[in-house]
Order: sequence, then C-alpha cells, then structure tokens
Amino acid sequence: MVKSVSKPNSSSEIIQVTNLVKKFGDFTAVNNISFSVKQGEIFGILGPNGAGKTTTLEIMETLQKQTDGIVMIDGIDTIQHPWEVKSRIGIQLQASNFYPELNLVELLKMFAAMYDVEVDPMQMLKKVQLEDKAKSFANKLSGGQKQRFSIAATLVNKPKIIFLDEPTTGLDPQARLNLWDMIEDIKKEGITFVITTHYMEEAEKLCDRIAIMDGGKILKIATPKKFINDLIDSGFKKEIIRQEATLEDVFLNLTGKKLRDE
Amino acid sequence: MNKYKKPGQWKAYLAITWYAFRAQTRNPATFAFGFIFPVVFISIFGLIGGSGSKLNVGIPNDTPENQLVRTIEQQKFLKIERSDPESLNKKLRQGRLSGIVEIKENQSKKYSVTILTSTANAIEAQSLTSAMRGFVNQANLELSGIKNPPITLIQTEVSGRTFRYIDFALPGQIGFSLLSTAIFGTVFGLIYLKKALILKRMFATPTKPLTILLGQGTSRLIIALVQTLLILAIGVVVFKFYLPHGFITFLELIVVSAIGLIAFLGFGYFFAGLANDENSAGPMVNLVTLPQFLLSGTFFPTDSLPTWLQPIANNLPLSYFNLAVRKITTEGGHLNDTVPYLTGLIIWGIVMYLLAARTFRWE
Repeated sequence: MVKSVSKPNSSSEIIQVTNLVKKFGDFTAVNNISFSVKQGEIFGILGPNGAGKTTTLEIMETLQKQTDGIVMIDGIDTIQHPWEVKSRIGIQLQASNFYPELNLVELLKMFAAMYDVEVDPMQMLKKVQLEDKAKSFANKLSGGQKQRFSIAATLVNKPKIIFLDEPTTGLDPQARLNLWDMIEDIKKEGITFVITTHYMEEAEKLCDRIAIMDGGKILKIATPKKFINDLIDSGFKKEIIRQEATLEDVFLNLTGKKLRDE
Repeated sequence: MNKYKKPGQWKAYLAITWYAFRAQTRNPATFAFGFIFPVVFISIFGLIGGSGSKLNVGIPNDTPENQLVRTIEQQKFLKIERSDPESLNKKLRQGRLSGIVEIKENQSKKYSVTILTSTANAIEAQSLTSAMRGFVNQANLELSGIKNPPITLIQTEVSGRTFRYIDFALPGQIGFSLLSTAIFGTVFGLIYLKKALILKRMFATPTKPLTILLGQGTSRLIIALVQTLLILAIGVVVFKFYLPHGFITFLELIVVSAIGLIAFLGFGYFFAGLANDENSAGPMVNLVTLPQFLLSGTFFPTDSLPTWLQPIANNLPLSYFNLAVRKITTEGGHLNDTVPYLTGLIIWGIVMYLLAARTFRWE
C-alpha cells in the first residue's frame, strides 16, 4: 500500500469534492457541489429521495464517473486512480445482497481475496457480533444481521473511509441503536464515515457534520447543533408540547434495548 | 510515474472462480438442469438406439408353412407379427406395420405373393418391397433349377460396427447441455447477481471487472466440463458409445467442448448484459437456443432440412460444435480435422464477446 500524499493545507481533510456535476442526459442529478470531509468524523448527507445523495456517494466510491468536477479521496483523484481509491475505502451499498449460497466466512474470504489482503474472518465477525452465524448463509440473516455483516465486509481491507448508504433503513429500533453503537466503536479506530440517511434522529445522534441536499444541490453544511441553533436564532419557534418521553422511549422501555434477530 | 500499483488480479480470479463454483454446486438448479436433464435425455436416446431399427411385417395367421415364409422369418431386419388379417390391416393403416405379406398357394403348386403397404409409411414400404422382390427372385431361381445364374450380387459390409442412434445423439446431447448451461446458466445467474447488486458490490473492490467476469465464467466452464464428462461416461459405460481412438478421442472431445463452451459463454454474457430482468431474458434466450437445438443437428441430421435452410443451419454456433464433435467421434477424425468448425466457433465467440463488452452493465 502506498502512503497517502496529502496536500499540506488539507491535512485534516480526507475527502475533497470540488464543483461536482453529474448529468444523466438532460437531467442534472448533482449540480455543482463542493464540500470536504475531515479525517475521523462521521459526515452525514441528508435529503429527500432523488436529492442526489446516492449519486454523490457513488461518484466518491468510483462506481460512477462524474460529468465534471474533481473528487479527491485521501489525496487521490478518483478518475485517475480508481483502483487505488477502491483499495482505501469500504463500501456498503443501499439494498445490496451477497451470494445466497455462500456462508459468512466464505464471503469474507472472497472479499479479502478481491482486495488482495489476508483476514481472520472469525475475528471480523466477532467485531459485528455475528461469530455464531459464521456458517450461516447471508440470505438467512435478519435485516439487522445483514447490515452488520455489510459493515464487516466494508472492514475487510482496513479502509480509511467507510461509505454507508442508508444503513439503518428498514431496521427495528433495537437494531438501529445497535448499528449506531457499532459505527461509533469503529469510528474510535480513526476511520472516517460518510453516511446517507433519511432519519433526522440518526443524523443528529450519529453525525459530526451534516450536508443537507435537495435537487442536486447542497443547501447547507454544519454540525447538527449549529443547524438547530441557527434555526432558533432566526426566530423559529416550534409549538412546544411539554413531553417527557417520545413514543420511541415507550417502545424501547417496553421491549428493552436488547438486540433482536429472529 | 508508478506511484500507485495496480492491485494483483490472480488471487482475486482464483477466489471468484472457487466461490462462484461453490455457490453453483449448492444451487439445486445446477443439478436439475446441468446433470439430471442430460442424464435423462441420454438415457432415452440410448434406449431408442438399443433395439436397432427393424421393419415390422404382418403375416396373416392362415398363411401355410412354406420355404418363403421360413426365409422371411430368418431375416434379422424383419420383425414378424402374426395375427388375423383384420387387425393387421388396421395396424398397417395406422403406420405401425411396414407391410403385410400374403402368400397363397394354388392347386398347381404355384405361389402368389402379395405385399400390402400403406402410404402412412412410404419409406419402409419401399424397403420391404425391395427385400421381398429379392426373396421371390431367389426362390424363383432355385425352383427353376438355375444353380449358376449369369449375374451374381455380392454385398460386402464396409463398416466394422453398427451405427446406432446413440452415436448420433450423444454428441448432440453434449452440445445441447453445454449450450444450455452456458446461456441459461450465465444469463439467469448474472441477472440475479446484477439485481441483488452482488456484482456491483464486487465491482466496488479493486478487482477489475474483467477478472470478476472471467472468474464467473471459469466456474461455469468447470461445471459444464464435469457435465460433459458425465454424459460421456454414461454414454460409454452404459450405452457402449464408441470412441474411435479411445482415450485420445476422449481428450480431443474435452478440448472441443472447452472451446465450444467459451464461445457459448459469450452469448450468455451478451444476453445477461442486454436483459434487465428474468422476464425479458426468457424470450431472448429461448429465441437463440431453441432454433439451434432444432436446426443444428442436435436431434436429427441437418441433411433432412430444406436446401434453402441448410446454409443458415450449418453456420450456427451449435452446428459448428456438433460437426466438430461428430468429426472426432462418428468419423474417427482428430483435432486437425475440426479446424474449420473450431474457427467458426471462435469467430462466433469473438463477435459475442465484443457485443457483450458494449452491452454489459453492473446493476
């Protein structure tokens, strides 16, 4: 592996996106956006369906080529050295599956070979609490287990950056909380995350900084706290109903935080 | 400027081949279509060929015993059926008999032989008539006391072995299985991998797209070669399929099968790229495979097709494959005799891979 060569003025910026444009025919999916992601943070991209989140993510992942603009991942241009970028990032695709006829250990071994690295599959499964499912087939896993396995698969090549596209969509509250904890744990190892989500609560609890996208444009980038404070400072007032607990609190209080799979 | 090295592909290729192979062996469809179907087919064809073809001749029950009847009964290619005239006539009209031979003896010790044939079975009718004419002439000569006729007909058998339907059917069956596995297996297999985003996830690794597809293809190649071995083994062991040069013929068959399969896989990749889902793939794939099964001499020789259709039929990829295999098995040739057909196959393959490269998508 080659050591990253980062520019001096961007030592803490592991991703730099400059004037990114992506057109599909006449439709502009991503319209001239620029942002950067700092090393070690969890960066959230929020937006309604069709905002351009997944397209932006896939261009950063080298799965799509931009119409215009530059994307630098760990100081490497995604167009010029896509293979080098691919070997430094971990990817979880939205609604992606795995070979249904292979068990988890076999899948991890196959991915390791595809990244040209050696792994200890059991240790990786342990990290995502799936060691007892080592011989299970991927399509026999529950939604939460499948997402945890996706995360394990992103870790195979010891990536510097992990991209998660709507990782908690369709999960029950326990599985979602569990996945957040897992992401926080991995973050502690110094890995940077880029996450897309529909869930504001997820963005607020998990993300260090958030970009809000709509219609292919980034409307604003800030920390969740700053977003809220700015809104309040602008004179925004929400009708306050004094509520000591939310329905989610009720749900978790009744059903417990223990993770359910099956 | 070699700052960034390209990732090694060899290990990835082997891993993809191995795990795609593992996945396929665990898939029940592989066994049903790849192994059970060919075995059932080859067994049926083997049994058809087993009895050999005989002419069914009806002789009415009331026919008196005489030399001519004994001569007919001694013929190995005739199967005699004795019954009452009415039921024999019924069978003749249905085409289940080649003909009815009525032999009548009159007062003056003379015989009259009548052959009843039906338009339902014209070719067999003709064979039977010629055969009977021969018997009658022979008997006439003998009865007339001519021991030394001016013209003698000597028939010498050239072929040392009897050609049976299995010898024709088995090569066709290998082609049929390989084409099915290569096209149906690849198209539906890859469409599933595309739809489930499994291919896209693999594409997100530093392994090159070509390596991913080559690994997939190699695993199918292995499965299909095992299939070929199985069909050959059953053919040779159970139905005494004839390998003219023994093990050499066997090895040459494997080489031809591998080349054929690589060409057929090109079709698989092309249609897997063209079709977005199983529903659109189904008709496309059938459109390409069914005419080939019928026109490529898989089940019956292309000679029996109309002349205008033959140039098309003879240049189909499966035809090239069948011709090459029959050159080696039926005609006892070697690989160098199959070069024109293998060239045809390779050209088809190149065209399909070029098309596939243009149409293939990862999701």
